Amino acid sequence: MALYNNHLGNRTTRTFRNTILIVLLLLFALATLFPIYFMLISSFGDPVEAGAISYSLWPGKFSLESYKFFFAFSEHSYRWILNSLIVATVVMVSNVIFATTAGYAFSKINFRGRALLFAILLSSMMIPYQVTQVPLYILIVNIFQIQNTYQALIMPTLVTVYNIFLAKQFMSSIPREVLESAKVEGANQFQTLIRIILPLSKTVMAVMAILTFMETWNTFFWPFLVTNTMDMQTIQVGLKNFRFANTTYFAPMMAGATISALPMFILFFSLQRYFLEGVTVGAVKG
Amino acid sequence: MTRKRKMTAMLLALTLATGSLAACSSGNNNPPANSGGTTNSPSENTGNSDAPDTITALLPPVSPAYQENFKQMEEEFNKLYPNLTLKIEPASWEDMTQKLDTQVNAGSPPDLAFIGSDGISKYAQMDMLMDIQDLVTPEMLADFDEAPLEYMKNGDGLYGFPAYMEVHAIGGNKQYMEEAGIDWKAVQENGWTYDEFREAIQSGVVQENGNTRYGFVFATAGVASKDYLSILVKNAGMPSPFTEDLKYAYTSNNYLDVLKAIREMIDDGSMPRELSSVDAGKRWNMFLTGQTMITGKGLAVFENSANQNNEKIKAGDGSAVADSIEVDYLVLPMPSFGDHDPVSYAVVDGYVAFRGKNEPTDEHKANVVKAAYFLASGNVAATTNSDLFAAHITESGREAAASIESNRNPDNVAAVDRMLEHAAPARPDIPVDLGAQAIKVENETIIPRLQALLADEITPEEMFEDVKKAAIAAFGEDGVVQD
Amino acid sequence: MSRATSRARNRLNRGDSAWAYLFIIVALLVYALFTAYPVLSAFIISFQEYSPRGSTYIGIDNYTSILQSELFYKSIRNTIIYTVLTVPVALILSFAVSIMIMPLQKRLQTTFKAVYYLPAVASGVALAVVWLWIFDPMSAGVLNRFLGFFGLDSQNWLGSSSTAMFSLVLMSWLSSHGTAIIIYVAALLGIDSSYYEAADIDGANFFQKMWHIVIPCLKPTTLFLLVTGVIGSFQVFQNAYLMTGGGPNHATTMVGLLIFDTAFKYFEFGKAAAQSLLLALMIGIIAFLQFKFLGKDVEY
Repeated sequence: MALYNNHLGNRTTRTFRNTILIVLLLLFALATLFPIYFMLISSFGDPVEAGAISYSLWPGKFSLESYKFFFAFSEHSYRWILNSLIVATVVMVSNVIFATTAGYAFSKINFRGRALLFAILLSSMMIPYQVTQVPLYILIVNIFQIQNTYQALIMPTLVTVYNIFLAKQFMSSIPREVLESAKVEGANQFQTLIRIILPLSKTVMAVMAILTFMETWNTFFWPFLVTNTMDMQTIQVGLKNFRFANTTYFAPMMAGATISALPMFILFFSLQRYFLEGVTVGAVKG
Repeated sequence: MTRKRKMTAMLLALTLATGSLAACSSGNNNPPANSGGTTNSPSENTGNSDAPDTITALLPPVSPAYQENFKQMEEEFNKLYPNLTLKIEPASWEDMTQKLDTQVNAGSPPDLAFIGSDGISKYAQMDMLMDIQDLVTPEMLADFDEAPLEYMKNGDGLYGFPAYMEVHAIGGNKQYMEEAGIDWKAVQENGWTYDEFREAIQSGVVQENGNTRYGFVFATAGVASKDYLSILVKNAGMPSPFTEDLKYAYTSNNYLDVLKAIREMIDDGSMPRELSSVDAGKRWNMFLTGQTMITGKGLAVFENSANQNNEKIKAGDGSAVADSIEVDYLVLPMPSFGDHDPVSYAVVDGYVAFRGKNEPTDEHKANVVKAAYFLASGNVAATTNSDLFAAHITESGREAAASIESNRNPDNVAAVDRMLEHAAPARPDIPVDLGAQAIKVENETIIPRLQALLADEITPEEMFEDVKKAAIAAFGEDGVVQD
Repeated sequence: MSRATSRARNRLNRGDSAWAYLFIIVALLVYALFTAYPVLSAFIISFQEYSPRGSTYIGIDNYTSILQSELFYKSIRNTIIYTVLTVPVALILSFAVSIMIMPLQKRLQTTFKAVYYLPAVASGVALAVVWLWIFDPMSAGVLNRFLGFFGLDSQNWLGSSSTAMFSLVLMSWLSSHGTAIIIYVAALLGIDSSYYEAADIDGANFFQKMWHIVIPCLKPTTLFLLVTGVIGSFQVFQNAYLMTGGGPNHATTMVGLLIFDTAFKYFEFGKAAAQSLLLALMIGIIAFLQFKFLGKDVEY
């Protein structure tokens, strides 16, 4: 049936097994969740400076002052969230489309230069951004002159090599016979992609969507470089405004971080269907 | 096979094409978009100062209310000079250097940026600063205090206007100091020597219900260790990394004395063993929760932070720092070593003028100066410096600030003023390449070794030898102090 | 393969290449403009003493001075140590968690995945603040209290050369594995259930199924996570930058941090470009080896 033996003896054995698994998973979860917990409880504190953080496991006081402070701090607080939403959504959609098609081409179509092209693409991942950022800045700002626009925020990551690589690896496990049979029926590559590959790749596309959205949402440095007015900043850039010369408004920063994490949850839970159902190649084959 | 080769050739051509684009862009005089120098009118008529122009300024949140005032500042400037537009780019503190550096490297910096005066030599080395010496009016110059203005110079050039001058001192808990029998008023007035200080912090150590209260805690985690050492060496006869005759000073035996003192204070038990990983947040927390009598570095604005916490404790609503106690914050000077004069570590930040790849017109230069002066004096300076508890350094700022109320402890204000009198003088005479070398020695040898010294992994003598070796490698046998 | 079938295949594949190029054209354009161009100009800069107002060509001076620098080798050693200690552990942990999630009810599965993914949504700066607190060197620090519970001495975690690297590694172990977990779970769900059915008929137990089905089927995914993990680890920069600044005594100076310092602290842009290209060359060799040894059986 599956990896785990579901008809393994009686019910108690199974419950016992699952309980042990849950306990182990919970222990690991506790360790990874601790920082998030800290972020959340500090966001309910007063808008004080960082030097005065309490470092306590339990909030001394529960107040929503910091959330109010976050929105009152700048008239652009809402705008930052909107900007992030726009940029992250566009980048997510374009990556899902173009990385899926490119991943399909690289994994399943034999064309001249395939291996070489892929190697070139992959090798670009190995150059650290510290060095490419100045030439990229020259390109966007001095040559294209599109600083402080959505294009500047979006274009460099329209489709990333990471996602192409991810799609290619996932699609490589789709059996070739499935595609051959489509061929025999006279489908061209585009039809094969739409009718066969896409239904089988729902999972990886959902994974790609959430990872890309998150990555873009969390990007700080590039939006910081190419925006120069407050109304074009993204939420991550805006959050940093809470840091001053010698002080940081800690709680509002955490409140902002908490608010900025929310869209991720919504996206995660709305895409979960695709994560969980999985796909059965057999169903298509049959 | 041949097809494959063709493909490769095509690819090569493609990459070459983009490559030539690269070459183009670096040689070409593409107008840098946000450098006003090229966007203003091409008219060579320097007498015509009414032509419209835009001045860009990259500014961090200098004080809590600073960014909120951007719009108002832009409007006021426009009212003052109807033909000029001030365009302010906001940036966060810690990342603003990186943004500025990227812009500078791309050849299109903003006209003005708010940076520390210690950054001037770095940009001067790249020849990306704008010398405003000839454009400043005598009235402008007369408005500034001389000492901070000196900090904005390098070689013969003046590269901007200072916003404030702050001393990095240390801060004491009044009650604990009195309990330890320290006459803090005398210290504020006359300073203290290292021996007096060492004794004082030793008497400040208290063991109570299993916890240690230390005499002195300084934030030294990571790169902050640099501050600790810089503050100490200034009081040991080395106000600058270079002597008057431009020899590297940190090879002198005075330096070894300071290194020994750093270890002594920890070994005495006056400072925590774990000092090497105490960061700025941690030591302020220790100060507020009564785990140390004196803390560093201390800025004038900390008094405000302590007062706020005191009020929260009184309110008793759980918003104060956990386990904190009421504290009266005292501004204290650093101790001096041997017979050396006390010299306080002064930090001058200000509005520095940049230039792009292309030569800016004289007219634009003059406009940049107007904007810099507008930001560094009068109302803007008065509000900012009052927010920061920083002393005013312009006449116009002092006048404008007269109406702003202050609840600072007058003893502390007097102590800060006294320290400002002993502030280390600016050293515009240090050539940029020497300065750059010193920064490298500091980052590659001094800071790492200091961290090891604080963690008790090497001895002061070992560190001193390493610094000496690195210094001689950088400046030569004749370029360093030998005593 | 007989000639007839191969000819039939050729007929079937006619037009495929055109489609393939169409499928990758956007990716190639984006790549050429926003990756190839900056990389190429970094390559040019690496032979120059860079200055925005006119660079000077200095041949391979940047490269020779890097290769003579003790600190460069030290930072490479640190990077390799960090990579070896973090990447495999991350793979094993996320693989184990994904396997453990599988038999649970759907709702529990989602919850756990969300929980593990959470740390990724928190900003790095906020996380660093928390970790600084965990690594508090005083005996009241979170981790030191934990040690004290077992009767062990307090450690000066980030402040001592002997524990600083381990602290960063520990932070990585307990930080987000959410991305890898999500990718692994997706890959696990993609395994055709007919394989398991066949194995069940043969009477295979859990470990046999693991060895013969799960591990081979997940090979492409593992390769992906390994290659991207090593690349990420070689470029790691933020943790060291925020937590230790590379100290104490260069114990946590990694290549990523060194490149950053060279470019932005010392303004030696040409040298930083050269360092990056050397780093990229190293990563490239490692990635090549990974493909060679792990990519063999992967069907393309």
